[in-house]
Amino acid sequence: MDTPLPQICDGIVIDQAAIQRRVAELGVQIAEEFAGQDLRLVTVLKGGLFFLADLCRACETQLAIDFLAVSQYSAGVGGMVRVTKDLSDDIAGASVVLVEDVVDTGLTVNYVYSLLKAHGPARLEVCTLLDKPSRRIADVPITYTGFTLPDRFVVGYGLDVRGRYRNLPYVASVKEEAIFS
Amino acid sequence: MTAAPDTPATPQLPQPLNHPPLDEINFAHASERVAAEILDFYRINWLYEPKTFPLEWDGKGNVIVSFSPDFYLVDFDLYIELTTMSQKLVTKKNRKVRRLKELYPDVNIRIFYQKDFRALLARFGMATTPVAHANGGGVLPAETNKQE
Repeated sequence: MDTPLPQICDGIVIDQAAIQRRVAELGVQIAEEFAGQDLRLVTVLKGGLFFLADLCRACETQLAIDFLAVSQYSAGVGGMVRVTKDLSDDIAGASVVLVEDVVDTGLTVNYVYSLLKAHGPARLEVCTLLDKPSRRIADVPITYTGFTLPDRFVVGYGLDVRGRYRNLPYVASVKEEAIFS
Repeated sequence: MTAAPDTPATPQLPQPLNHPPLDEINFAHASERVAAEILDFYRINWLYEPKTFPLEWDGKGNVIVSFSPDFYLVDFDLYIELTTMSQKLVTKKNRKVRRLKELYPDVNIRIFYQKDFRALLARFGMATTPVAHANGGGVLPAETNKQE
């Protein structure tokens, strides 16, 4: 059964079939390029969870998965981003692909990239399902991109608005009044 | 006896922030302070209005129009101009940024509009509220915009 479009959305930007096709292509590409290497797919909770789950099954090679979680900015609180859940396994000397749902300003991925780099992997690449380059602040190197999107606020396939709609099987754009209410 | 799990130690990252305390910086608009907090949060090295670019000169060579972008991100060699103001001021700023790019093509600058700022805060799960025109207009996170 098709998942109905939530009321806050005004259209599907990338449908489920297109996501599946692209994730399969990325899986094949990553499996080929990392063949014979100690491959680890790492994502940042919670948004990257859905992409990682599909991507790792599309990679027909031996690999391991791991997860990180980082704190989120809250206005007026101060402080700096910190790891709230670190990797479970040592990645020193491994080939790591950081799997992201979206790279937007690049602030989060820039921090996580630096953090993973400090763990000493032999190779570190970034794979994002969605790239929104128009609002980039921190220019991080992205090796694998699923889709490049214009500057629209989207939800689904891991992306949320106030914690909701991550479980949509497609990526949908959100009405402005729903984001900014 | 069971071996301890092979959990890696969290590496320590450098703590940049080579700017004065936020309370000592005279931000032109409250949203700029929020932007500074966000950059600090993500450990991005920044400077506030570190450079003024002359844009127009009179016949005697005196500068008559100049522009000071809000932030300079040291590690990315990028200037950021944040504009959460009225459309009239946005148009004026757009014109200045365009002129800056013409005169200084090697300078990287990106302009962030009110919509971008609100979208960024929305990604953090934060609602925004409008700021009174007398207080500079634009929007702020609802949490920091409790007017008495």
